[in-house]
Amino acid sequence: MSVSAAPTTVTTAPAIALSGVSKVHPGGVRALDDVSLTVGAGAFLAVMGPSGSGKSTLMHVAAGLDVPTSGSIRIDGAEITGLDETRRTELRRRRIGFVFQAYGLVPSLSIADNITLPLRLAGESADPAWLTELVERVGLAGRLEHRPAELSGGQQQRAAVARALVARPAVVFADEPTGALDLTSTREVLTLLRESVDELGQTVVMVTHDPAAAAHADRAVVMADGRVVDVVDSPSSAELARRLIALGQG
Amino acid sequence: MLDLALKLARSRVLALLAVAFAVFGGAALVTATGVLAESGLRSHVAPGRLAGADVLVAAAGVKQVEEDLDAALPERARVPAALLDDLARLPGVTAAVGDLSFPAALVTGDGQVAATPDPQAAGHGWSSAQLSEGAVSGAAPAGDDEVGVGSAVAAAAGIGTGDSVEVVAAGQAATYRVAAVVDAPGLYFVDSTAAGLAAVAGGAGAGTVDLIGLRTESGIADAVATAARDLLPTGLTVATGDDRGDVEEPGAAAARPLLLVLSGSLSGIVLLVVGFAVAGALGVAIAGQRRELALLRAVGATPRQVRRLVDRQALAVAAVATVPGVALGLLLAGRLRRLLVDGGMLPAALPLSVSPLPALAAVLLMAAVVSLSARAAAWRTSRLPATEAVTESRTEPRTPSRLRTSAGGLLVVAATVLAVTPLWVRNELGAGVVPLAGLLGAIGFALAAPALLQTAGDALAHRLPARLSPTSWLAVANLRGATLRMAGIVASLAMVVVFALTYTLSTTTLLTAGSRDVQAGTLAQHRVTAGALGGVPGDLRADVQAVPGVLAAAPTAGTTVLWPYTELGEPTVESATATVLDPSAAGVLDLGVRAGDLADLTGATVAVGADVARSRDADVGRNVDLVLGDGTPVSARVVAVYDRALGFGPVVLSADLAAGHTTSGLAQQLLVRTDGSPAADGALAALVADRPGLALTAATPPGTTLADAPAEVWLNLATITVLLGYLLLSITNELVAGTAQRRGELAVLRLTGTTPQQVRSMMRREAAVVAVVALGSGLLLSVVPLVALGVGFLGRPWAAGPVWLLPAVVLTVVAVAFLTTELPTRRELRAEPASALSHAG
Repeated sequence: MSVSAAPTTVTTAPAIALSGVSKVHPGGVRALDDVSLTVGAGAFLAVMGPSGSGKSTLMHVAAGLDVPTSGSIRIDGAEITGLDETRRTELRRRRIGFVFQAYGLVPSLSIADNITLPLRLAGESADPAWLTELVERVGLAGRLEHRPAELSGGQQQRAAVARALVARPAVVFADEPTGALDLTSTREVLTLLRESVDELGQTVVMVTHDPAAAAHADRAVVMADGRVVDVVDSPSSAELARRLIALGQG
Repeated sequence: MLDLALKLARSRVLALLAVAFAVFGGAALVTATGVLAESGLRSHVAPGRLAGADVLVAAAGVKQVEEDLDAALPERARVPAALLDDLARLPGVTAAVGDLSFPAALVTGDGQVAATPDPQAAGHGWSSAQLSEGAVSGAAPAGDDEVGVGSAVAAAAGIGTGDSVEVVAAGQAATYRVAAVVDAPGLYFVDSTAAGLAAVAGGAGAGTVDLIGLRTESGIADAVATAARDLLPTGLTVATGDDRGDVEEPGAAAARPLLLVLSGSLSGIVLLVVGFAVAGALGVAIAGQRRELALLRAVGATPRQVRRLVDRQALAVAAVATVPGVALGLLLAGRLRRLLVDGGMLPAALPLSVSPLPALAAVLLMAAVVSLSARAAAWRTSRLPATEAVTESRTEPRTPSRLRTSAGGLLVVAATVLAVTPLWVRNELGAGVVPLAGLLGAIGFALAAPALLQTAGDALAHRLPARLSPTSWLAVANLRGATLRMAGIVASLAMVVVFALTYTLSTTTLLTAGSRDVQAGTLAQHRVTAGALGGVPGDLRADVQAVPGVLAAAPTAGTTVLWPYTELGEPTVESATATVLDPSAAGVLDLGVRAGDLADLTGATVAVGADVARSRDADVGRNVDLVLGDGTPVSARVVAVYDRALGFGPVVLSADLAAGHTTSGLAQQLLVRTDGSPAADGALAALVADRPGLALTAATPPGTTLADAPAEVWLNLATITVLLGYLLLSITNELVAGTAQRRGELAVLRLTGTTPQQVRSMMRREAAVVAVVALGSGLLLSVVPLVALGVGFLGRPWAAGPVWLLPAVVLTVVAVAFLTTELPTRRELRAEPASALSHAG
């Protein structure tokens, strides 16, 4: 099944284009089965599905964290299959930002160091104006010199969002970004992601099992058994919940 | 990248302290070894008695060796006296003196010998007194019966000018009148008398002198030396400044290569031990950072960047630790030299030569070891695909690297093959291979250990009793779950076992085998020495043989020979100690002759040990080409091959062959065999007591306790102690840091209802398993080298050594295993589990 999350204004190449991607794990488990998916620039896509449906694998492969068994993946127009680990890392560093469920901040670095880490690894320095705007946006201006352990979970996750945005990547991937957060923090983080799409034109792909979270996206794809089985535009959480339950019963 | 590395380092203080210590100790050991090596190449003996001579001319003290360092010659070759006139005519020369040295000693009124620093070369001609800078009181000795006395000796004996004294010169006792007291060491005879005495003592013969000293007008010594070099035939050396000391004392200068050999044999072991300790400490430090490194990977660090980060971090720590380490190394080298001097292995006259080179070498070497170890330790983590890096960061890699396992297996096999060397090579080299093979085996084991332990753990898991206590079950599960960590600990402790056993026992076994040879091979019961006289007087042997009940008396001496031979197609020169014997030696020594006869040791002949005979094609009847200690090449016929080479050395020279080619021709000792009757022993004792300067001892030491072991043994044991201490401290740091890294794991256990007592009990059980496995593998790794050592040297399948060694090693390993778990665990348990978890990182 081939789907396309059409952006409101089509100007450039899609942020991500997967075509016929399959991933078979060493044990013979087919985690992705011939998936094709296009995400336009400036779109907010949610990937849903029950545990084991392949949604995490889809994200890993699409982000160049993992290599597909077959198929083609283009990020911002550039083919990434066939690149070695180092080249893929360099490409990821420039074009992709990550938000993990468990924040993924380096405990021994300050919040400021954590946020600028991708730039430093790329040998670049942060544009001070952009950095200030970013820090204001995530509401951590007074916390820059703190260590991650001194912040609440919501604050740590907002720092992680800032880190994902700092290099102005083509796509931000968020893997269950609200999975470990309370309701208030969850709303803050989702709002932050939504704003980055609306106000900064950022492309965001978010993996989640929470229909309420997915409702923040422009479009949701539902996965089961390594395939995309459903596509919902401008989803509401009630509609998504219904479809997921139906999937569980079917 | 560096400041990022340092920021990451801050949270790993304990683990990085372990790295710092390993580097600190390593730098010290490498520097000390380097200083010894450099001194072996460049150290000079300070000019002593002849400091007043601006230029010294002597025979070249080295033998040129193709494609290798020149071999130093310990015995003095002579200079033709005819050159004196030519040299005296050189412009700027104010005096040219032919210097002679021979054994001489002054006997005080009560029949004792006045102590002099070097009785073997205390006698000189009067003209040599001109070359010393000391003042003279009195007149020049004017006849055969007059002598000038060094001020130190005169003071010791309480004599002055005009007194009559008894002097034993070249082994001949006579009465002299003191004509002068000279502010210089030694006894000074009229030149013609001195020439005669030197000839009697087997020193400089007619028409030759030991060396020629020139005094020059001030400031032109170098110009004179250059002119002298043009004038002189080849084979002679001209020395000025600091080089004069080497010419004056060829024996001391020839001890220099000992330092080189020593540092060479140390360097292999030192590098292996230091590399092992540094790699171990870095392994623990980097294992503790796995999670952070994996995060960096996920955020966009390339594998290279991760490795470079780890490398920078390790180098920063190493840089801090190296500086004090180098300083300690310089102190350590001084200590080591003292030990060598006190043990009589190194002349006190030879100082250490200290330059920035060894320090620089230590810095570069440590940087290389640290960088290599750090990158190797981070290799796996850095290469993981980023997703695996994220998921794997919480536990360790599941399968040990196959490359690592097979490299380790190969190393163990190679070490085992190397370990049987003592079966073929029965000498110091063969024994020296044993600890090296042990170390290589232990390093191979460290590489293969994760895979081995995983296999063993899996096999064992099925046989565990079903009703295991929860703490034991947890302990086993932890060890199986963290094979890599456990393998690191087990391999480190196994290394301690292997190192302590193989190094110590190879030293003591060699010692035991040597003294067994000496015990069994010495037929004589008595040994007469005359150290204070500089050698056994030539007429003593006849007097001793005349004593009723004496069956045999034979003089022995020691010298050095250079043996050029071809090994694996490469020309090699081996410098070997050689015993000088005459045909009568068969009456007092039984060298275990298996072919030929010691009675044939006349003319240009030698006897050789069986080992040498086999490896260098030197059986009875063959001619071998040797270079004597003074540099004279000779061709000698092999007349006997003997077995007891460990006790008596690999080569025996006939007295005829060595005559005239040693600094002193007097024998060092007289071995005496009597019929064993008290009358004979009494008569011998009376004879010795009657003549001043002689000493009578038992021919063989009564037992073979460590206390009367030779200096090399003590040096080896001191080396073992230092290296073992370093290894133990490094491993202890490493293990403490490793336990401290388990903070998060322990906190989770407590939060899920494990009581502190249960945690401690679990950790103790882990420690017990670790200690048992480490001891088992250490002993297994030591078995082959030690059995080969025992069979090769003692003809029995176990090595010789102190009985307390094994229990001490076992106790040490058990203590380290328990203390390094118990203490950090207690500390972790004092923290509240929830806060421990949030700070676990």
